[in-house]
Amino acid sequence: MIFYIIRRFLFLPLTLLGISLLVFLMIGLLSPYQRLATFIDSPERLKGADIDKLVEFYGLNDPLIVQYGRWLKNIFQGNLGWSYVGKEPVYDALMRRFPYTLELALFSIFPILFLGINLGVISSVNHNRPLDHGLRIFAVVGWSFPDFVFGLFILMIFYSVLGWFPPGNLSLWAEEVVKSSAFHSFTGMTTIDALFNGRLDIFWDAFLHLLGPVLTLTYVQFAFILRITRSSMLEVLQKDYVRTARAKGLDERVVINKHARRNALIPVATVSGQTIIGLLAGAVIVETIFNRTGIGSFMSLAAQQLDYASIMGGTLFFGLILVLGNLIVDISYAFIDPRVRLE
Amino acid sequence: MKENTPLLQVQDLKVYFYTEEKEELRAVDGVSFYLKEGETIALVGESGCGKSVTSLAILRLIDSDGKIQGGKIILRGRDLLSLSEKEMREIRGRDISMIFQEPSSALNPVYTVGDQIMEAIILHQKLPRPQARKAAEEALRLVGIPEARKRLDEYPHELSGGMKQRAMIAMALSCHPKVLIADEPTTSLDVTIQAQILELIAELQHRLNMGVILITHDLGVVAGMAERVVIMYAGKVVEEGSRWDIFHHSFHPYTWGLLHSIPRLDIKQEKLAIIPGAVPDPLNFPSGCRFRNRCPLADELCLTEPQWREIESQHYVYCHHYSQVEVLKTRGFER
Amino acid sequence: MNRETRRILRRLLSNTSAILGFVLLIFFVVVAIFAPLFAPPPPNKDPYIMPIVTWSSNPLPPSPEHPFGVAGKRDIFYGVVWGTRTAFRVGIIVTLISTALGLLVGAVAGYFGKLWDEVLMRITDIFMAIPFLVAAMVLTTILGAGLDKVMIAMTAFSWMYPARLIRGNILQIKEEQFVLAAKALGVSDFSIILRHVLPNTIFPVLIQASMRMGSLVITAAALSFLGVGAPQGYADWGALLNYARNWMLGGQGEALKYWYMTVFPGAAMVLFVLAWNLVGDTLRDAFDPRLRL
Repeated sequence: MIFYIIRRFLFLPLTLLGISLLVFLMIGLLSPYQRLATFIDSPERLKGADIDKLVEFYGLNDPLIVQYGRWLKNIFQGNLGWSYVGKEPVYDALMRRFPYTLELALFSIFPILFLGINLGVISSVNHNRPLDHGLRIFAVVGWSFPDFVFGLFILMIFYSVLGWFPPGNLSLWAEEVVKSSAFHSFTGMTTIDALFNGRLDIFWDAFLHLLGPVLTLTYVQFAFILRITRSSMLEVLQKDYVRTARAKGLDERVVINKHARRNALIPVATVSGQTIIGLLAGAVIVETIFNRTGIGSFMSLAAQQLDYASIMGGTLFFGLILVLGNLIVDISYAFIDPRVRLE
Repeated sequence: MKENTPLLQVQDLKVYFYTEEKEELRAVDGVSFYLKEGETIALVGESGCGKSVTSLAILRLIDSDGKIQGGKIILRGRDLLSLSEKEMREIRGRDISMIFQEPSSALNPVYTVGDQIMEAIILHQKLPRPQARKAAEEALRLVGIPEARKRLDEYPHELSGGMKQRAMIAMALSCHPKVLIADEPTTSLDVTIQAQILELIAELQHRLNMGVILITHDLGVVAGMAERVVIMYAGKVVEEGSRWDIFHHSFHPYTWGLLHSIPRLDIKQEKLAIIPGAVPDPLNFPSGCRFRNRCPLADELCLTEPQWREIESQHYVYCHHYSQVEVLKTRGFER
Repeated sequence: MNRETRRILRRLLSNTSAILGFVLLIFFVVVAIFAPLFAPPPPNKDPYIMPIVTWSSNPLPPSPEHPFGVAGKRDIFYGVVWGTRTAFRVGIIVTLISTALGLLVGAVAGYFGKLWDEVLMRITDIFMAIPFLVAAMVLTTILGAGLDKVMIAMTAFSWMYPARLIRGNILQIKEEQFVLAAKALGVSDFSIILRHVLPNTIFPVLIQASMRMGSLVITAAALSFLGVGAPQGYADWGALLNYARNWMLGGQGEALKYWYMTVFPGAAMVLFVLAWNLVGDTLRDAFDPRLRL
């Protein structure tokens, strides 16, 4: 088990290096002047400076491999360039926005897994009966819904018809409280910080604002988990050990929820990495639609305004989260399946 | 003979499966046999003859695409087919237990051996966990697993094939059932281990005075264990008799073929008989005698259903031409 | 016809969702082919650019002249009809090129194995480590706007899926007797791959491709929606939805008034993706029951 985790950690830097190379190769497609943006970490340095001299200074006409080494060194020093969109260094911009995206992901992953797994089990147990067909239709429609279409519908319903809340992170009054010095930020995630500060009203406001994006991500993403759970359950239910469990005289509920489900979850764990990808990519769309600050909306804004430093820094960051996320998934996988621990 | 009423009686059992095209597949079609207390019987036949389906039907564990369409399964005077699902669950594992062919797939890979054995004990004997753990350890010891306490906390994949089957047996016997159904318990094991497992089953059968139904395609296994043998072919019982009757003067050509298709050292054999053809497609069994298209003795008479005849005391056969089976000795299975 | 073929055909025909999928797909094909009939383009202009029909930037609700309403000065109906062509074009071109690319990479990795396999698969992993939408968005911005750039960017980040699939299948088939036999007879590697291995892996690849179609079209539209994909006024469902976005946010609780801006292009997208998903599902069910989801 420990060896397994250590081995996974050993692979981590290699993958990250690969991602950085890929990102750098994309940067290499830019002109030296555009590339300059990924090196300059403050606009002050551009004032009155000779751009050509700066290009020379940073060696942006050198061979790419030399530039890659220099760029990598810069990254290790936390210098990802200056973000025009964020009006601060890219690194700071990402760090400040990440908690919002993380908060959204955390609030979404639970309903996605809960609904996906439970409905998948229900669907498989009712194989080919009306309930199964109904759930499959519900799932395939959700799966076919582009997140930006569903998000717009949700916005229309919640904002326009029900009038519950406007888009954004918080209501204006709450925003003022959160920005005031009396409110301590511990995690950067508003809901959690509100609880630490004992402000239930702010927690509730932040929660309401999360509802739309969470609903969107959940409906678009849970279908995938449902499908995997269902097919995996159908396979497991044919297994000999399920028959053994029944032959023992166990209640069908125990057979399904204990013996079948735990085995069926093994493939679900392997695809959870894809759910993380889905949540991150989904954040780009959902944060943009619902006007939330986070690295997703930051990325889309940067892309629209051709803010290369922010785009490249953000991509690197996304890759990092994804690799770490997959690592966590793999480790939790070993907890579910005892056979993995021995390898 | 200790008792006259059998422990378990299967009467005219019919289990049909239905394909997606709604075709009827008569996997088990009117099977009857009985099992007395403390007795071992063998259900013998090629794969697909319905012997495994019969055993699953006794526990009412037929998949949802199959259905028990008729007959009775009487355990000590109670017809299992008339019980509610809840009453049936109390029978499973407590009165009738089962062990399966593949110990590696019959044990749940994500729970420890101990957990899986304790589960049955807690369920049927209503013991609290610590006592159940002791009982599980005792069960592992009973089946001859060394370091039983340590094994409790191991996962199935940490045990060898033979050990897994022992653990499986421990699980099946943990609640002292009256009937043990062993479905090809040694097929997937090494030859040396096979003998050990069979010996273990035989020993435990005596010690616990269980009735054992041994399901197998291997007459060699039968020779050592069963007191009576039930031969099945294409969903029907074709011959039933004591081990001696079956081995020494079988009357059904199919039984005869089975016996002579294995090389034996104890009888002088002219040549090995090879039954021509294959088991018929269960979707279209031949009318009349289902063995007729492979049988060297078949004629027009075989287009009609044979009768179930008692040829000798407790020796039954289902064939029109049982009296001519001796011919096969010289003719073999060539038509 | 043997039993297996009959079973597959019966499955396809008896399955309501399969029929729905095929009918929807045929419907979209018809719309795409006869787009000039349904929504005649103005003469001597690029038909893929939605013509400007009004000078006010306010959206207009559906009316006899503009059955789906007007958004961003352009006729939504026109955009939905010609957007069908865009969707097919993007989906098919990207799928074809990325599948061909993946076929090549997967075949080399799977067949030659060893170092080839190790290196190619690590590269594949790295390409998969960036979320598809983000990667496509970034590469599109670097290459510059335009539908062709969108397609290049999406192709660059979607060849990995067929590559992995093919590699896995080849590893499996390599061990089969007939491949070993061909090898023993001295048949060259190339013709073994071409004659023996590819025909056996082509079905799973096709099924996967049809299932990826939906997500490709979603991503392309998402890029237009974010304003980094197709150029201004290009007939694209995502671009139409982009117009809707501002009115949803800025509508001061009156978003419902502009429902038609979201509903028509949104419905077109959902139905298009649904059609591909249903068809892909059905193909998989019919040809590979083991993979049934």
